[in-house]
Amino acid sequence: MQIVREIIHLFSKDVRLEFRSSYAISGILLYVFSTIFIIYTSFVQVQPQVWNVLFWIIMLFTSINAIVKSFVQESNQRQLYYYALANPTAILLAKILYNILLLFLLSVLVWGAFAFVAGNPVRQLGAFVGTIFLGSVGFSITFTFVAAISAKADNNATLMAILSFPLVIPILMTLIKLSANALGLLQDTAVDQDVLILIAIDLILVAMAFLLYPFLWRD
Amino acid sequence: MVRQSWWKIAAVVLLMYTLLAGLLFPLKPGVLEVTPNSGRTGEEITVEITGYNSFYKKGEDSMRVWLKLDEARSLKARKIMVWGDRSMEAVFSIPEYLPVDRRVQDFSLIIDNDIDGAVSLPSAVFITQDSLDPEMGERVWVNDPIISLSADTGIHFPFRNILAETIRNTYFHVPLWFAMVFLFLGSVVYSVRYLRGFRIDDDQRAAALTRIGVLFGVLGLITGAIWAKYTWGAFWSWDVKQNMTAVALLIYFAYFVLRSAFEDPEKQARISAVYNIFAFVTLIPLIYVIPRLTDSLHPGAGGNPALGGEDLDNTMRMIFYPAIIGWTLLGYWIASLVYRFTRLREQHLDLV
Repeated sequence: MQIVREIIHLFSKDVRLEFRSSYAISGILLYVFSTIFIIYTSFVQVQPQVWNVLFWIIMLFTSINAIVKSFVQESNQRQLYYYALANPTAILLAKILYNILLLFLLSVLVWGAFAFVAGNPVRQLGAFVGTIFLGSVGFSITFTFVAAISAKADNNATLMAILSFPLVIPILMTLIKLSANALGLLQDTAVDQDVLILIAIDLILVAMAFLLYPFLWRD
Repeated sequence: MVRQSWWKIAAVVLLMYTLLAGLLFPLKPGVLEVTPNSGRTGEEITVEITGYNSFYKKGEDSMRVWLKLDEARSLKARKIMVWGDRSMEAVFSIPEYLPVDRRVQDFSLIIDNDIDGAVSLPSAVFITQDSLDPEMGERVWVNDPIISLSADTGIHFPFRNILAETIRNTYFHVPLWFAMVFLFLGSVVYSVRYLRGFRIDDDQRAAALTRIGVLFGVLGLITGAIWAKYTWGAFWSWDVKQNMTAVALLIYFAYFVLRSAFEDPEKQARISAVYNIFAFVTLIPLIYVIPRLTDSLHPGAGGNPALGGEDLDNTMRMIFYPAIIGWTLLGYWIASLVYRFTRLREQHLDLV
């Protein structure tokens, strides 16, 4: 399978690039820690309810900041070179996969840092890890595609926020509900239904991204 | 000329029809209030009934009133005093014991006469039992079966207690939303056509349709908020349906921001076509799937049927379906004007 090989190569290229430059990842880390520091100094005592909402808000902004760079950190000429070498959808899928990994690591990190300063109210470990994984997948697909769109316009950051917030709200609301469940804040019997909604939304979004990206990358 | 614009004429005719019929047909007679709405067993209770759109005076001779316990059992009023078309009093003797083992039992009120037809108010009167003895109640119960109800004559919309006259909003709020989805659908079709052929006018048509779709969406939101004020008690109650609707409109507002971010018309057309398709696909779970799965006040949520059952009777269907077609055609008409205006402005700017 040509496309799978391309995806693997592009994926490992992205990972190596991140480690070598380490500029992006350290910027994000600094962002995460300063946000959590500010939250801790202003709240001191964080209730589980508030913990849940704050966690996802931090994740939302961290994800946007992490992903907005996907398509702009490399120069246009180098991107053109990639498009000449590989299938454009392979490039998009590799970016989505890489961002899933990045966001999952970041959310574990945010969770750890948050637990360190504000306590860890998570009751069901497996459910919470599953939720942050689903969250990373959903955020990654939406934000990567929107980053691809906003990279075409030059005023990136504003457009990124305007386009992606409304698109991500349904995902975010389901995630907050799921993680409230994992925190023992509410007894929800329809967890599988929520998980199914998330997976369905993710599938729809990735299918659309897959279909539409060939029209997007060309300049 | 006529052959080309038959659908515009159809839009005007259908909308005139729905506006006139939807606003002018009266509601069915109903019961607004019953006082007192509670009593005890063994009592003789006199309830005052306030009607709506009713003609008690005219139908006095054939007037009958029941308190209905269940499908098989009911109590007939011993005496009825009609004070006016909208007000009367009925006297019931409640037996010492009821044939049920609940302390408080609710009764529906059924009124029947030749003029108004049969009218009912569910859970109109609550009777508290002094002591429970269902078997004794069974023995002393004197059943007055509800028989030979009169048929309703004339064209009426159904009377619903919470909705009352606001039921007419069904011809505005709901069809506007249907029309909005049809407009967005048309817009997606043009966006797909643009991506297949790269003709700039396909994209301009898509933009015009989206513009009018958003306009209809905003109107639908406003009519919905007004309706919510009268039925749920507040313009905005952070109901999941309202929230998702607001998010859906935000997604489409973002479409216009995106369009204005590009200078190059070809790039603008291509990227907004891509975003338009993406937005429409996310719109469907947003307004049709998520609200159905969570609890909501809105019909069509938490397993409630959105339309159908008793909510939409045949008289309403006669106006509701034409209203959907009428609003949709009007939307396409406005969109075609917007599109032509865009074209003309562009041509003139090119000439200058």
